[in-house]
Amino acid sequence: MENIEQKLREEAKKLLADKKADVIVGYEQGTLPLSATPCFITNPDDADRLVWNVFCTHNLAKYVHDILSAHKEAQKKIRNPQDRRQKVVGIVARGCTTRSLVIHLQERQYSRDEIVILGVPCTGYSDRKKLSIALSGEEVLEGMVDGNTLKVKTASGDTQLVLTDVLADNCLTCRFNNPVISDIACGEAAPAMATDKEYDKIAAHEALPIDQRWSYFFKEMAKCIRCYACRQACPSCYCKICFVEQTQPQFMGITDNPSDTQVFQMLRIFHMVGRCVDCGSCISVCPMGVDLRTYLKKLDKDALELFKHRAGTSLEDPPPLSTYSEHDQDDFIYNP
Amino acid sequence: MAEKKEKEGWEPKIVAVVCNWCTYAGADLAGISRIQYPPNVRIVRVPCTGRINPFYIIRALQEGADGVLVSGCHPGECHYLTGNYHARRKFAMLKRFLNYLGLEADRTIFTWCSASEGERFAQVIKGVTAKVRELGPAEKLVKQQ
Repeated sequence: MENIEQKLREEAKKLLADKKADVIVGYEQGTLPLSATPCFITNPDDADRLVWNVFCTHNLAKYVHDILSAHKEAQKKIRNPQDRRQKVVGIVARGCTTRSLVIHLQERQYSRDEIVILGVPCTGYSDRKKLSIALSGEEVLEGMVDGNTLKVKTASGDTQLVLTDVLADNCLTCRFNNPVISDIACGEAAPAMATDKEYDKIAAHEALPIDQRWSYFFKEMAKCIRCYACRQACPSCYCKICFVEQTQPQFMGITDNPSDTQVFQMLRIFHMVGRCVDCGSCISVCPMGVDLRTYLKKLDKDALELFKHRAGTSLEDPPPLSTYSEHDQDDFIYNP
Repeated sequence: MAEKKEKEGWEPKIVAVVCNWCTYAGADLAGISRIQYPPNVRIVRVPCTGRINPFYIIRALQEGADGVLVSGCHPGECHYLTGNYHARRKFAMLKRFLNYLGLEADRTIFTWCSASEGERFAQVIKGVTAKVRELGPAEKLVKQQ
């Protein structure tokens, strides 16, 4: 971990000093113990602020999109096209972040020369909600990671936790914990996670009776307060006008009626067909702990079964809904 | 559910979203050929099944439709060449997803029906109406005022 961090800082410093990147998007130490927060580094001297540890949660591809689209929008105001300049963003990217970048590139959001990828191997990030449960909701006063143990100091004393117990669900079965594309690789490839259990939870949910599945969905969506944090955090949610805010015509009911919330979640989730990289950002930012992964992962499973597609794993593999085959499965077509 | 069915003399309400070039013409043919089919279906015409946003289907279910039927040209016969191939992928995902959420699979039905298949159109409507009647009124996801 430390070597990776060291290498990351060196490379980031070099990129900024050589003017190969205008900004580096990475993680820095958070203001609370056991946390890391996204940061934007433009000065080579600040590169030492970068960290890489198990608390780096967010998928930074979101910020790359934000920065580049805001920059392009601003450049449009410069009348003479020759005076417009390109901005290059360096990004600290783990496996899922690079998959999001691949999706952005496939969807022509920016070009490959506008980003520099500092690929880092990942062994999973800790889930704050799991951590909080393990500590019975007590506030973390101090904490440090030592190998696979998490030493935490709370008001009631010191505790030791096993790190793998508090890793996020999506990390435990992650198939792409190493970058799928990368310009500068930092560190050795990370070992594989338990990929054979990837769809176990989904298969179990599929096997439930239909009414039980509906009541689970109803119960989960009843928690949602529609703060749209999931949408804000999701790298694949970058529409300029989201369907929930579109008013001419108004697409979505915006009341607190359970049906409106369910429809919002159904549609946001369904927009992720072939686009969800299972980075867990939406889940980690959800203040109400809605179980979104059960549904997002299902789409991933279906896309794999029906179209042999895994989101964002290769630049050559087109998104599943933008292509077709004459031999696609059609057993669901009704024949009287 | 059974009470509601008996009490109000419930009849299924089915929204059919059909493509302009095949199924709509097929429905027209069924009409001019005087083929009888249940009057439970409300037809919405769209240029192509590829144009149908899954939102339409979900929204229809939210607004109280008991079933949604989507029908377009047979594969390979799309007026816009590939619209229905793209639609097929979208609907394959949508149908599985809605069923996974817990909505009955028979409430969303996809089929193909060409302009010359008036008889088939009538059969489809009969079949779909029977399926939805079997399920009873939609209650999940319906927005209660």
